[in-house]
Amino acid sequence: MIEGAVSSYEKIKAKTSLRDILDVACSFEASARDFYTDLIPKVGKNVRWVVEELAAEEQEHLDLLSGLAGREDIAEQIKAEVRTPATDSRFSDCVHLPDLGPSPDDQAVLQYAMGREQIAMEHYRSLAESTAPGPIHDLFSFLAGEETKHKTELEKVYYEVVHSGGV
Amino acid sequence: MRDIDYKDKGGVLNPLKNLSFFGRKAVTVPLEPRPASANYRGFHLNDWETCIGCSTCQKVCDNAAITMVRIPDLPEDPVQGIRNLRPAIDYGRCCWCALCVDLCPTGSISLSREYVHTCLDSELDSYFVLPDAKGIHGTPYPKGWAKSEDADLVALERERMEELEPAERIGHFQEIVAGYDSNQAIIEASRCVQCGMCFDACPTHMNAPEYIRAIWKGDPEQAVREIYRTNPFAHTCGRVCTHRCEDACSVGHRGTPIAIRWLKRYAMDAVDHERVKAIAAEGKARFLSGKRVAVVGAGPAGLTAAFDLIKQGHEVTVLEAQAKAGGMVRYGIPDYRMPPDRIDRDVDVITSLGVKIQYQTRVGKDVTMAELERDYDAVILTIGLWMGRSTRIPGSDSPRVKRAVTLLRDVADQVKVSIPASVIVIGGGNVAMDVARTVARLQKQTFGAVKVTVTALEDLEHFLADPQEIKEAREEGIEILDARGPQEILFKPRKYEVDKVHGLRTWRVLSIFDDQGRFAPRYDEADEQIHEGEMVIEAIGQAAEVDLLGEDLTERLEWMRGRLKVDGQGRTNLPWLWAAGDMVLGPDVVSAVADGHRVAASINTYLSIQEDAA
Repeated sequence: MIEGAVSSYEKIKAKTSLRDILDVACSFEASARDFYTDLIPKVGKNVRWVVEELAAEEQEHLDLLSGLAGREDIAEQIKAEVRTPATDSRFSDCVHLPDLGPSPDDQAVLQYAMGREQIAMEHYRSLAESTAPGPIHDLFSFLAGEETKHKTELEKVYYEVVHSGGV
Repeated sequence: MRDIDYKDKGGVLNPLKNLSFFGRKAVTVPLEPRPASANYRGFHLNDWETCIGCSTCQKVCDNAAITMVRIPDLPEDPVQGIRNLRPAIDYGRCCWCALCVDLCPTGSISLSREYVHTCLDSELDSYFVLPDAKGIHGTPYPKGWAKSEDADLVALERERMEELEPAERIGHFQEIVAGYDSNQAIIEASRCVQCGMCFDACPTHMNAPEYIRAIWKGDPEQAVREIYRTNPFAHTCGRVCTHRCEDACSVGHRGTPIAIRWLKRYAMDAVDHERVKAIAAEGKARFLSGKRVAVVGAGPAGLTAAFDLIKQGHEVTVLEAQAKAGGMVRYGIPDYRMPPDRIDRDVDVITSLGVKIQYQTRVGKDVTMAELERDYDAVILTIGLWMGRSTRIPGSDSPRVKRAVTLLRDVADQVKVSIPASVIVIGGGNVAMDVARTVARLQKQTFGAVKVTVTALEDLEHFLADPQEIKEAREEGIEILDARGPQEILFKPRKYEVDKVHGLRTWRVLSIFDDQGRFAPRYDEADEQIHEGEMVIEAIGQAAEVDLLGEDLTERLEWMRGRLKVDGQGRTNLPWLWAAGDMVLGPDVVSAVADGHRVAASINTYLSIQEDAA
């Protein structure tokens, strides 16, 4: 999902096979990775670690989804995954999705990343809810869970960066 | 005895009486030691679970019968005040006086009622014993002489220090605590058992046992001399140090730790300032090295480094953006905790040695880092954490929402600050408490009443603020609400004006950390509250303002997760540049002092090598 764009939502909603859905999801991850990779040289070196880690995480996510798309037993794999859903801590609910501007600080980059994950998570959840039980429903649930995990990890980093150093 | 005729030596047949024993079965009478009395001073017992390895027993033993033995498998943590040492007793020396028992701070040592030990010549080492709770032979014997209220030589209660009651202190910024007089200081110093756990725990390894002993001897000048060996921010640390020494104090295991911080404060206040300056100057090099060092920032780390380097014969110039020195100690800690005249004294001692401070000189604007690199042999960055973080929740970008560090700085600078009758503070650390208590005083002065609400994500157990600060804040009428997650700042629309802050909406935080201790909050959205307040102050975190480095230098430097990467000596990847203090370690005055010493030592070595090479 890209910044909650309706077109992204509609694009993936239109897909009817597991592999097609995963391919679109992979393209979203690749787009996120490229976004962060492009951002790396634009931020100060002291902030760059945040963006580099985000790009690396998106790549990991892309690898995970690509690996899944390449398997013959996608449906079974996903079924196993959705049995342990990730919990949404909801910390980032109230953090703005900022306008990054030309040279964002570490907090803004993290806010932005959390916002992206939040929207992606919500869209996948919405897609899962609007799909009848079955492999496609499971796949959307799986993708929502992955985005939730990612968002939760970002929240931890956010707390360690922002809520520290003087309190 | 009367029945025996002493003159009766027996008849000539007496030897034949022995023949009567022939054919009788031999009888062995068991030889058991007699039970000892309840207070008997037999072989030692030591409960290893209670023993902290503080070595007080060894120090008090006049016969030198006790040796501390390192047990590698036991835990060791200087911050917690735990050493992996246990006492071994040489029974060739021990006189069973039991002073080791009477002075043991934790009460781990006692004497048993066991008193028999024999061995062959080849086993004489068996008189050197590492006692545990089972006794010398592993046989259970009851305790003999043990810690009792009558015989306890450890004074468990701290000498009370006078302080202003909440109602007396809330209307002004005068210092809350009065300080010890000389009698009180001597009494408090006499409680110290000289174990040195405080030395281990202190980041700058202040030799507190030495200065406490000097105070006990009635020699505050000597105490100041001991203090200045490791800490030129002595007035400051005598008041606002995080006193890890006291957390590690062995007396604190059963009683109240020695008031080490207050004793330091006593010594510093007791000695005439000019005399302190003379003591601080002792050992100053009588030569000039010809090397020049620039220090960016006149806080504790920078000025400690300057203190060391000037004493080593180098020329030191400190560049300070503010009008006065002291850094966050002056501009972040309110006067009721840290009176500015005492910071002035610490700074005066340092400048009296020849350190030059250029005030209101902002690096990056008035002078560049490139110029410092060009003009000095070494440069130290000690720029602190002056940028307050924001929650960035909806509404937080309003001009009606303030940052704690900015507000505290304005108050310290005596800038007129307009404080409304009701204020909300977000944060659970010492800065949050400082700003809440500052605002409370200003409200009291203006409105005659206090209405400050502190809300923090963390529950009270995880608050970063000192418990004493929390207690005092509550005493002053400040409401502290823990485990509240800020969601939104609320505004009351106003005609023709910027919207007025109306309050803060929060959710209940059920738990904040996961099993690994990392942030993973769980909220109860059903428990939503609106806290009313006309101003919101954010005190959630701070960061260094590194823009002064400029783009080029920022790129040349190596960074570690947003902080300047330095080695164990505080040196960056550039040979001429060091960094120290809060910007590297996080906020803590005494750690900044320790860091200042560390970089000064590194720079001195670097400059000496340069000298040798020249």
